[in-house]
Amino acid sequence: MTNHFKPIGMLAVAATVAVGIASVSAHHSTTMFDHSITMTINGEVVELRWVNPHVSLSVNGVVKERAEDGPAVWVMEMTSPGNLVRAGGWRRDAVKAGEKVEVLFSPLRDAERKGGALKKLTVLATGEVLTANIREQERPGLE
Amino acid sequence: MRFRLLAMFVVLASTAAADAQNAPKKQPTIINPPPTAQDYADLAKLPDWSGVWNPKITDQDQQARDNPPPWNEKVAKEVEKMWAEEKAGRPKLIFYGCFPEAHPSWMLVTHNAMEILFTPGRVTMLGESDGNRLRRIYTDGRPHPETPDPSFHGHSIGHWEGDTLVVDTVDILPQAPLAISEAVGVPNDGDMHVTERIYLAEKDILHVELEITAPNILTKAWKTTRIFFRQRARKFDIVEGVCQLGDYREAKDENGHHVFVPVEKTEWGNLVAPK
Repeated sequence: MTNHFKPIGMLAVAATVAVGIASVSAHHSTTMFDHSITMTINGEVVELRWVNPHVSLSVNGVVKERAEDGPAVWVMEMTSPGNLVRAGGWRRDAVKAGEKVEVLFSPLRDAERKGGALKKLTVLATGEVLTANIREQERPGLE
Repeated sequence: MRFRLLAMFVVLASTAAADAQNAPKKQPTIINPPPTAQDYADLAKLPDWSGVWNPKITDQDQQARDNPPPWNEKVAKEVEKMWAEEKAGRPKLIFYGCFPEAHPSWMLVTHNAMEILFTPGRVTMLGESDGNRLRRIYTDGRPHPETPDPSFHGHSIGHWEGDTLVVDTVDILPQAPLAISEAVGVPNDGDMHVTERIYLAEKDILHVELEITAPNILTKAWKTTRIFFRQRARKFDIVEGVCQLGDYREAKDENGHHVFVPVEKTEWGNLVAPK
């Protein structure tokens, strides 16, 4: 049976701070991210959570705009698996743990937290580009 | 003594008779008849709504700006606050608990695909991304039930006018939101009534024209249309989506069995990002 998830690095687990809020999945607006800003992270994939309602990708790397922070794990959020397949060219196995990637993202408004909304991912080994805009590809008969 | 016994018997007998008169009449059981070969053949005469339908989200955005519901004064103030909060980066969580978006908000604001199935006496809509999106529209001529059984998607009955499906829905839970975006909407608070006209506007474009009456939150009936576009490529087939799975990660229990354990989420349902 294929794993839905890849095991998250201990670094990421240690870095996650308990917020103490009841955890609930939901379809939600994305304005907790600042979409007027684009940042870039270069690093390695830690984990792709290919789940509904929102897929997320953890990357361990350096954010160009926060280079002084050094390497850190950032958690990128996206839309649902079905939407990503249609609008962004994703597959469940599009990226693997350890894969070197460059990710453009809009950061969380809460600057203390290392999170963002993924806009574009480039797999450095192959040059493959994956996007995550649900408002793209709004036409019938896609192939 | 005999007279007393007789009197008691008369009283008991007449009480029993009165009870029998007042007892609710047993309703005859309605049996859904098994479909006939003709019923199945008639499905072929219906328009082709097969495939996967994606919502046009850019049009939803535009409708939210250009054709908002006629909110009553109290709700209009709440809605104004919700828009402001969303803009400030603190969007209200309209959809919580992995509950369905419900009717009509599923039609109004979904970001996910759906498929529509025709079977004798029924049209069934199934949505992607969580298993709770399911609408049963009965086209077998039945009325709405006399005793309401409120639900997230309500009770829907429909009939075909040519190639247009005309649907009438009542008995929607008062908690079901009337939403125009994922951060703007209020519970309908009861007595909401939705009618729809659903049809192919073009070969691969489906229109859902809605008329929504919600006397506890709207000043008058609201008309709006939502647009869906069709995919047939197999890679876009609808996949299982369990909304709550996003709250969990894979782990092994003490016996080495595969299990799911909770993860931390924010108040909006994002994974908690590290500091």
